[in-house]
Amino acid sequence: MDYLLVQATNGAVIGIIYALVATGVTLIFSILKIVNFAHGDLYMLGGYCAYYVIKFLGAPPLLALVISMATIFTFGVLIERSLLTPLYNERTERKDEYGIIVTFGLAFVLRNMALIVFGPFAHRPPSFVSGAQHIGSLIVTNDRLFVGGVGLVLIFALLYFMNRTIWGQALDAVSQSRDSAAIVGINPRRFNSLAYAVGASLAAAAGALIAPIFSLAPDMGVLPTIQSYVIVILGGMGSVLGSIIAGILLGEAETLFTAFFPDPTRALSYTNAFGVLVLIIVLIFRPTGLFGRRHLRME
Amino acid sequence: MRGLPVFILLAAAILSLVYAHLLNDYWMHVAIIALFYGILTSSWSLLAGYAGLFSLAHMAFASLGGYTSALLVKWYAIPVPLGVVAGVAMCCAVGGVIGWVCLRLSGPYLAIFTLAFSEILRIAFSTEDNITAGMAGLHTEPLFHTASRLPYFYTAFGLLVFSLAVMGFIVHSRWGLFFRAIREDEQAAAASGVAVARFRILAFAIASGFAALAGGFYAHYIGVLTPSVGSLDLMAVVVVMTVIGGMERIPTAVGGAFGVEALQEYLRAYGEWRLVFFGFILLLTMRFARNGLLTPLWLQFLRLGEVRGARPAARKAGQEGSGI
Repeated sequence: MDYLLVQATNGAVIGIIYALVATGVTLIFSILKIVNFAHGDLYMLGGYCAYYVIKFLGAPPLLALVISMATIFTFGVLIERSLLTPLYNERTERKDEYGIIVTFGLAFVLRNMALIVFGPFAHRPPSFVSGAQHIGSLIVTNDRLFVGGVGLVLIFALLYFMNRTIWGQALDAVSQSRDSAAIVGINPRRFNSLAYAVGASLAAAAGALIAPIFSLAPDMGVLPTIQSYVIVILGGMGSVLGSIIAGILLGEAETLFTAFFPDPTRALSYTNAFGVLVLIIVLIFRPTGLFGRRHLRME
Repeated sequence: MRGLPVFILLAAAILSLVYAHLLNDYWMHVAIIALFYGILTSSWSLLAGYAGLFSLAHMAFASLGGYTSALLVKWYAIPVPLGVVAGVAMCCAVGGVIGWVCLRLSGPYLAIFTLAFSEILRIAFSTEDNITAGMAGLHTEPLFHTASRLPYFYTAFGLLVFSLAVMGFIVHSRWGLFFRAIREDEQAAAASGVAVARFRILAFAIASGFAALAGGFYAHYIGVLTPSVGSLDLMAVVVVMTVIGGMERIPTAVGGAFGVEALQEYLRAYGEWRLVFFGFILLLTMRFARNGLLTPLWLQFLRLGEVRGARPAARKAGQEGSGI
């Protein structure tokens, strides 16, 4: 029973991280109508950025997290302005295709560049809070609690931003209809950049948070990207709340799957396959996901 | 001299076959790998460029074909070519099933689905190491028991020519037209009487079959097969080659494979920076020259031997067709 509880706690923490990555994907999708295949690499960059800020500037971890988010936010604006503008041009043919190839190519560039600049070996930044909490016979490291807490704060901040602020409402308006939004005085161009940059900085936050628990490696983004697609499709493309719920669900399901897989030597490798299997089943039977919003379907 | 481009291509092919033995071992290997990529890029161009189906599982099919062939040869001691054919048949079937499963998916959903399929396959191949030897690599039966790479070169050349002939025939037949109709607008194609479902499945089955052909050849050429053949990095390399060359025409896709592979060897001194460089070229190509860098050259090449300024109709035909 204790084992189950420990696994459930770990699953919730991982789930919150997944939810952070996935809300970014879904936000970008709902405004730009593309799936960002480079999302995992922004997550990786966020982790490295925080690591180097801590290492060279000696900043406290929480400040490093904020700096990393700000840096990747700026980077996101740059990417969006330089590469993704053809998506809003009426004359561009087959925008899906453009979005897929450009973000896939960007992922390839970023991953290989990270391999050269940061080196292939894993780095581990210092933990946010050392020590562990003993709750009965349960042991949870402070790090995980901290990560879960900060993650939740970020998620609630995002929900507040999306639902209660004028900018969030404007984003929702652009996602529903670009033209109508323009008519009521919203500049869609600005909100394209904003959506991409907010999505990117959420990924960076997730990367910076997870770094002390797992380690940093140039290819650390590959699996979270795939997991975030699982979550986004499970939760419904474009639904922020859906991806938060689905993210935590997937984190739990995966951890419990690993804990109870009959063959422990293979459990870890098949954990990833498990998420992907969920994705395939959902795509076949319910392509709009559990909380899909009709106007955001791409079919 | 309207057939001039054809003669030039034939002459180049014959010259490269006749003088192939002059290449040293290293460049021979490079040439064989370039031919291997040529099969992959041309079939991916058929799938993504003609039919508009963005599959990221192309390398997964190559590795599935390779493993099928290598394992069948190992277990039942069947001749290698038979194993490769079995791998192709297997991938045609699996590709057809995948095509059928994602009939309702389009654009990014299809890309995610195939990405997921590709990852599952790679994870399964590396985890089930009692069958596939995992990341340690599966030792495969060589195709020829010779020290020279020359026979492999001829085989790869033959396979590429065969693939191009079959795919060239397909894209110039009515099927090619149907594929392009599906890419442009599925509903309009269906309304015009194209059996969209059948041709989407067919496109997947055919392209996967050619990927398996390349994979099977690679498995029995290189001698050691690892699950990383089906990795996303190699898939990205195929995408880079195809898009840089020009994904909407098969010859330019093959040209992209040759060009990138040759440059990659030529720039060997720059090590890992080459991949970053090619990635940037890909981004720039997409941003500023979406038809591919080789497409204008190829169209110019097809126009060779025509009387300048005359016969606008013939020139139009040259533009519409895809050559070979």
